[in-house]
Amino acid sequence: MARSTLVLGLGLVTALLAGWVAFPRVLYVGQTQPLDFHHKTHAEQSGFAECAQCHALRDDGTFGGTPSLDTCMSCHSERIGTSHDETILVDNYVKTGKEVPWLVYARQPANVWFSHAIHVRRGRLACSECHSTYGESDDVRIYEQNRISGYSRDIWGHSILRIRFRRHDGMKMSDCEDCHRQHHIQVGCLGCHQ
Amino acid sequence: MRVTRRDLLIWSAGATAGMMVTPVPWKLLGDISIWTQNWPWIPQPTHRPIDVKESFCTLCPNGCGMRVRMASGWPVGVAGVRNHPISRGALCPLGFAAHQLIWHPQRLRRVRHHGGTSSWDEARTAFARSCIEGPIAIVDGYPGRAASSLYETFVQKQHGVYCVVLGPESQALAPYEVWSGVPAATLGYDLENARTIVSFGAPMLDGWGTPGRFTGLWAEWAAGKADPDLRLIQIEASLSRSAARAYQWVAIHPGGEAALAAGIERVLLEEHLVRASGPVPPLALAESAEQSGISTNAIRDLARSIVTRPPAVAITNEENPAIAALNVLLGAVGTRGGIVQKSKHPKSHLPAKPELHNVRAVLIDPSVPWDFVPQTDAEVFRFAAWDGGSSQADWLLPAPGFLEELTDIPTAPTSAIETYAIAASLVKAPLEVRGTAEFLRHVDPHLITVEDVIHTRCEDLFRARAGTLCAQKTTPVAKVPSVEKLEEHLRNGAVWMGEPQHPGPLNCKLSEWPQATRSECSPCNPLASWRAPVLPPLASKLYQESNLREGRERRDA
Repeated sequence: MARSTLVLGLGLVTALLAGWVAFPRVLYVGQTQPLDFHHKTHAEQSGFAECAQCHALRDDGTFGGTPSLDTCMSCHSERIGTSHDETILVDNYVKTGKEVPWLVYARQPANVWFSHAIHVRRGRLACSECHSTYGESDDVRIYEQNRISGYSRDIWGHSILRIRFRRHDGMKMSDCEDCHRQHHIQVGCLGCHQ
Repeated sequence: MRVTRRDLLIWSAGATAGMMVTPVPWKLLGDISIWTQNWPWIPQPTHRPIDVKESFCTLCPNGCGMRVRMASGWPVGVAGVRNHPISRGALCPLGFAAHQLIWHPQRLRRVRHHGGTSSWDEARTAFARSCIEGPIAIVDGYPGRAASSLYETFVQKQHGVYCVVLGPESQALAPYEVWSGVPAATLGYDLENARTIVSFGAPMLDGWGTPGRFTGLWAEWAAGKADPDLRLIQIEASLSRSAARAYQWVAIHPGGEAALAAGIERVLLEEHLVRASGPVPPLALAESAEQSGISTNAIRDLARSIVTRPPAVAITNEENPAIAALNVLLGAVGTRGGIVQKSKHPKSHLPAKPELHNVRAVLIDPSVPWDFVPQTDAEVFRFAAWDGGSSQADWLLPAPGFLEELTDIPTAPTSAIETYAIAASLVKAPLEVRGTAEFLRHVDPHLITVEDVIHTRCEDLFRARAGTLCAQKTTPVAKVPSVEKLEEHLRNGAVWMGEPQHPGPLNCKLSEWPQATRSECSPCNPLASWRAPVLPPLASKLYQESNLREGRERRDA
């Protein structure tokens, strides 16, 4: 094989490895959540079986999102366990009244208007259709943030090629459009970008 | 093995080719584009629960109802209020994007004097000196507000002049004031009961008057029907959106509206198509046809078509006595489905003219359009929230922006029924801006406040016990327990609606065909003369994409 072909191939392979293997690892930076929260423990031991018990829709239809410290304090006003994270929760947040700075995997950018009320109540979508079975997990996964855009990796989806192996993988505009198309829902630009 | 320069070049070529089949270039392109949207100096609302407040658009006197989504005390989105009795949930593109205006790069944030930077103290001192040397004039764009009442009180004390710049819709009603003596401000169009609308260039389906009012009626009575219950005959030189969607489009020569109105009137009289009588236009039908570009037969057909489905009313977007005379002949003045008197409290305002003589200073309210530039030797104090490009004022004073100032909203100019609303201050104004009323109170500390005037007006409404409050549900004012409760409802987005006035005859004394005005000679194309002030990015996008701005090729068509 000619030397030049070999060098050309070497450059090709280097770029492919860099693009497909190294780039996705470099592009995202992992961040740990401030507390090790177990959805499964809360569901099984504390009786929070329904997502809406903590992530509630308010009376006016707006979404409560991540529960505030008040919700946590209904049980954790004092230490009720011996774990290190329980100590951090009570000492750093409950006693100081500071909200826990949770990193929200599914947070959409500010120019997106998304109504949980419409999707859950009118569209009758289950939480897991977009958020997977995260509500049954017994650990908190690493929050991966795109170094350039600052968005959560969940928005783009796990696959760098945006191949959706699972329905809930990816929350980009095209994913919204696909779902709307499947359900024959017509919304113009201003339906989501008010 | 020795690595040569050639090897490096070949390796680079291979790497470049390989990179093209990786996600790197495409993903980087997308991420960098997002990065440019999130630069640190671009304001981003914090992630907090969204509050929704109901208020009113204050960008024009029509006061459309709007739901404002607020995040951390900042407006982040605007939508129409479906329950609003007049605007019916619709907003114009500018109103739809108004929440972006307070961050506009052209936001006026400093007092400017002859182009340079100055201070509020210097501006106040200069204005106080002018008041002493007097007289002064105050020019208002939206008369009838609480602030307007305050201006009138101020100029009365200072022996000055209060005048208003009327919008095109109000100007169109001016001839009836001349002929009947009833102030144009108390007149409106009873579109809800009209069955034929003859629009002489008024952009009826492009946001004329209160944008949602006629479009709502049209959607209800006319859209998609071959023989609609509400006929819109659009007389216009170009195929505007209103013309394209109208029941009938009559393409005329630009500026031929008055001649066509005269031709129609001549046919109505000659063929006895109307019961009323009126002055015979001086133009022969052939002359009308020549000037308007419509054949005599087409004018005859048009005249017959207009009276086929009464009540009919002619609408224009400028002061055009010939079209007003047509309404008189059609019997559309003071009758159901025509031009009606909405208020029994007549009040006439002195129209502002650019030539303001014999005054020491002119104070211009931010509601006055940018294209009003006084031709005067007086010192001009102009309030503005945005620097729209005017450099004619001696003093340019930063005013509160959208939703940053408490104001009330009296009846819209074209409405046939009285309304009253209060647009509360939802956003804290920047420290460096001042309202006009606040500025005047520095000169005259005994001047009443806008709050006081609004409260007095609420008391008047409560005492009268007439009308209804329209919010999520409609409540008669008689059932509101106290004036405080009434004011609270109004401040939270309710609209007071007066009792419908029974149309009474307006005795228009029109003995001879009206003389042509200057505006009759100019093409009746409101879009051609419309000059955009500062526009928020979303409004620019909506404006361009919604085809509201006609392209040159369409205008010339």
